[in-house]
Amino acid sequence: MILKYAISKELRQELGLRENEELYYCVPYDIDDDGSMLDDSYIVVSNFRLFITKKGKVLESLELKDAGEVIAEPLINCGTLIWKQNDTERKLIRYSSKHLARYAYIARGCRLLKEGETIPVESDEDEKTCPRCGRALPGTKECPHCTHQKSGLINSMWKYMKKYRMLLTTAIILMLLATAVTMLNPALQRILVDDIIKDENGTMKGAMIVLLGMLALSIGIILINAGKYYLCAKLGANMALDLRKALYGKIQELSLSFINDRKPGELMNRVIGDTNRVRDFMSEIFCDFATIAVIFVFDVIIMLILNWKLALIAFAFTPVAVGISISFRKVIHRRFHMQWVKDDNVRSNLQDVISGMAVVKSYGQEEAEGLRFNEKADAYAATQRSNETVWALFFPAMQFILSIGTYFIVFFGGRSVLNLDMSAGELIQFVSYTGMLYQYVGWLSNLPRHLMNIVTAHERISDVMNQTPRIADGEEAVEHEIQGNIEFKNASFGYKSYKPVLDGINLKIKPGEMIGLVGASGTGKSTMINLIMHLYEIDNGELLIDGINIKDIALENYHSQIGVVLQETFLFSGTILNNIRFAKPDATYEEIITAAKMANAHDFICRTPDGYNTYVGEKGYNLSGGERQRIAIARAILNNPRLLILDEATASLDTESEYLIQKALERLTAGRTTFAIAHRLSTLRNADRLVVIDGHHIAEVGTHNELMEKKGIYYGLVNAQLEMNKSA
Amino acid sequence: MGYGKGFHGEEKEFDLEEMEKETEEMLKIRYLNSDNADFKRTEGGFVSLKIGDENYERVHVVRMFPFTDPEHYISIRTPDENSKEIGIIKDFKDVSADTRKMLEEQMNLRYFTPIITKIINIKDEYGYAYFDVVTDRGACRFTINIGGSAVVHLSDTRILISDIDENRFEIPDIMKLTVGERKKLDLFL
Ligand SMILES: Nc1ncnc2c1ncn2[C@@H]1O[C@H](COP(=O)(O)OP(=O)(O)OP(=O)(O)O)[C@@H](O)[C@H]1O
Ligand SMILES: [Mg+2]
Repeated sequence: MILKYAISKELRQELGLRENEELYYCVPYDIDDDGSMLDDSYIVVSNFRLFITKKGKVLESLELKDAGEVIAEPLINCGTLIWKQNDTERKLIRYSSKHLARYAYIARGCRLLKEGETIPVESDEDEKTCPRCGRALPGTKECPHCTHQKSGLINSMWKYMKKYRMLLTTAIILMLLATAVTMLNPALQRILVDDIIKDENGTMKGAMIVLLGMLALSIGIILINAGKYYLCAKLGANMALDLRKALYGKIQELSLSFINDRKPGELMNRVIGDTNRVRDFMSEIFCDFATIAVIFVFDVIIMLILNWKLALIAFAFTPVAVGISISFRKVIHRRFHMQWVKDDNVRSNLQDVISGMAVVKSYGQEEAEGLRFNEKADAYAATQRSNETVWALFFPAMQFILSIGTYFIVFFGGRSVLNLDMSAGELIQFVSYTGMLYQYVGWLSNLPRHLMNIVTAHERISDVMNQTPRIADGEEAVEHEIQGNIEFKNASFGYKSYKPVLDGINLKIKPGEMIGLVGASGTGKSTMINLIMHLYEIDNGELLIDGINIKDIALENYHSQIGVVLQETFLFSGTILNNIRFAKPDATYEEIITAAKMANAHDFICRTPDGYNTYVGEKGYNLSGGERQRIAIARAILNNPRLLILDEATASLDTESEYLIQKALERLTAGRTTFAIAHRLSTLRNADRLVVIDGHHIAEVGTHNELMEKKGIYYGLVNAQLEMNKSA
Repeated sequence: MGYGKGFHGEEKEFDLEEMEKETEEMLKIRYLNSDNADFKRTEGGFVSLKIGDENYERVHVVRMFPFTDPEHYISIRTPDENSKEIGIIKDFKDVSADTRKMLEEQMNLRYFTPIITKIINIKDEYGYAYFDVVTDRGACRFTINIGGSAVVHLSDTRILISDIDENRFEIPDIMKLTVGERKKLDLFL
C-alpha cells in the first residue's frame, strides 16, 4: 500500500521544509469539510511536522512534538484524522474508506516519529486499484494489464509445458495437418467443377475419384480434430494438475498471515478456479487458436493468389464482420449474464429458505416465503424466455449479415466468370475461402478476452508462487531439542500491523513450568500461543527458546516436539484412529490407546460401533464438542511432546471428565513446559504461575495465592466466578 | 446472573452488586431531551455532553436505523473502544434547534454514503464494473466487483452499491433514473 505519494515540486516548495527536515509520508484525503468530494489534497508528514494541504496550498502545519497523539478514527464508510493535544481532540480532515487503512498506518507513523524512530512504517497490504491504469487489481500485487505479463505468461506457461514436449509437438503437427486438410477441400471443389463437370472430357469415374477424395478429407478432418482435442485436453489437464500441486505446496509453505490476509475461499479459488482456467485455455483456446491462426494466414494468402481484386473486396468487409460479431457478443453476454444473476437469485433464496425451514415453519411464514420464491422464479423465467427469443432471432440475422460480404463476392466474381476472367470452379473455391475468413475473424476477435482471462489467472497464480514465505527456515536453522525455557523479550505483535494485539511482552518461563494464561475474551491469549508455536512472526522484540531465537530453529523439527489442543477443535474427515495419529503416523496401537485413555476418550470410543475405526465426518461434526476435544487431547499427547499447549482444551467437558483428564495430564505434564488457557479458572488450579493479560500487556504474574493477595484483576475474576457459581 | 442475591446478603460481594448494576444499566433506556441533556460544540469540531453531573468530553452520534429511520432513535455513545450508550434521542423535536443542528453535523461527519443522482457510464471489464456517476457530493468514479454482493436491495427500488474500497453509494429510487441510466444499471440489479 502506498504511503508516500509523489509530491509535486510546487507543493514541496510551498511546504518550506527546514534544514534536516525530510518527508516521510504523503497520502491523499478525499472529503471536504462540507462533505463533498475532493481531490488533489494531501496530508504530508515530515520528521518534524504534519501538513494539511488542499489543492496545492498548505492550509496548516502542526509540530509533531506538540501532538499528544495523532489518531485515525474509522467512522462509517469514512474516517477522520484527529489531532489530540492537551486532551482536547481536534478533527483535521476526513477521508473515504479508500484511505482508511492508509491513515491507520500514518497515525502509527506519526507516533513513531514523535518517539524519535526514524525508520518509516511500511505496509505490505495490496492496493485495490492499479495506480497506473486505474483498473481494479484482482487480488494481486501487480496489475495484469500494466506489467508485461503477456511475455511473462508465455515464459511461465512454457515452464509448465516443456515437460510435455512430445505431446505439444504432436498436437502442433496435428494442427498443421488440420490446416492443410481444411484448405484442400475447396481446392477439390474447384477441380470437381472446372475439370469434371464443366469439362467435356469429364467422366463419371473422375467425378467419383474427386468425391471420394473429398469424403476422405472430411473423415480426415474429423479424425485429426479428435486427436488434436484429445492431446490438447491432456496437455491442459496435466499442466493444471502440476500447477495445482505447485500452488498447494506453496500455500502450505506460506505463513498463516498470508492465508489470513486473503478472503476465505480466495485461495481455494486460486488452486481450483484459476488452474481450471489454465486447463480450459489450453484445451479449447490454445488448440483452436493455433489451428485457426494458421488457417487464417493461409486463407488470406491463397485468396490473394487466386484473385487479388476479389480478395481486397472481401477484406474490405472484414471490419464490418468484426464489428457485428463483437456487438452481437456484447448483447448476448449481457443478456445471459442477467439470466445467470437471476438464476443465482433463485438458488440462494431457495437455499436460504431450505436451511432455515425450521424457522419459517415455526413462525408460520410458509405462504409469504412461497410468494417471494414465486416472484423470483417468475423473474428468472421471463428473462430466460426473452433471451431464447433474442437468440432465435438474432443469431440467424447475424449469420445473414455476415454472409452479405459473400454476396458481393458472388456478384463481382460472377461478373468475372461471365467475362471469362475466372473459372466457375475458382469462384466456388474463392467463396468457400471467404466464408472461412469471416468465420475465423469473428473467432479471433474473441481472442483478447480469452487472453485477458488467462493473463489474470496466471497473474493470480504467480502472485502466490512468487511469495517468499515470511516464516521459513533460514540458512542457519538448527535442529533443537526443546528443554522448555521460553523467554519473551519486549515482544509485540498484531495481526494487522497497525493494530497491536500484544505489546511489550516480557516473560521468562522455566522448563517444566505450567503456565496458566488468563484474561478477558479477545485480549490475546490464543495469540500468545500462536507466537510460541511460531505460526506468526513477532513484529518487534524477541522470542527465545532455550536461549535460541525462535527464527533460527528448524520449523518442522520444532513443531514435531509440540503437542497442541487448539481452541477450535479441528478434526479431519477420516477415522478417529487417523485423527489421533495425525502427528505421528507410525504410532503403535498401544501408544494410541494409552493416549486415548489419558484423554478419557477410550471409553466413549469403544462405545461407538466401529471403535477406533469410526469415521468422523467433515470437521467431526457427528461427535459432541467434548468428544472432539478429547480426541484432540489424545492427538496432542500422543507423541510425547516437550511443550504442551492447551487452549481451552477442556472447556466443553463436564466437571467430572475435566477432573479425570487433569489428573491424567498431571502425570504427563510433570517435567514439561505447559501452557494452559482457560476461562474456567478452576481448570488452572495446578498451574505454577498465572499470567494475566490485559490491555495488550501482561498485567499480573504470580501464583494463585500471590495474585489473590494482590487483589488485582485475577482476584476480581476469581471472586466473580465464585459469586456466579453461588448465585446460579 | 444475580437472581439469588438475597440469599447471600450477609456476605461481602461488591463484585456481584457491581455486576447487577451493570446489568441494570444495560437494560435501561435513557431518553435525552433538552431538559436533561446539554450538548455543546467543542473547539476541535466535535460535540460534548453534560447530563446531570456526568460529563463527556466527546460523544458519538449514532443512527440506530440508518436506512429505515435515519432521523429518529439517535444513540449517543461514549467514544472509546467498548463504546457504551449514554442515552437515546427519540425525536429531534425533543431537543433545541441548535442542538439538533450540531448533532446533525456530527452525523454528517460520521456517515459517508453519497447519493447517486446521475449515471454517466458503466463499463464492465473482466469481472469489475467501472462506474462514472454524479452524486450529491460531486462527480465520482468507482469500481465494483461484479461477482460479489456489491449491490444490495434495501427495497424494490432502493439500492446500495459497495465498491471495492468499501465505500457505499445509494440510489434512493431507481425509478427516478432515466430509462437509459436504468438500462446501464440493469446488469447489476
Ligand atoms: N487471524 C486473525 N486475524 C486478525 N485478527 C485476529 C486474528 N485472530 C485473532 N484476532 C484478533 O486478535 C485479538 C486477540 O485474539 P485472541 O484469539 O488471541 O484472543 P483470546 O484472548 O484467545 O480470546 P478468547 O478468550 O475469546 O479465546 C482479538 O481482538 C481478535 O479479534
Ligand atoms: Mg482464544
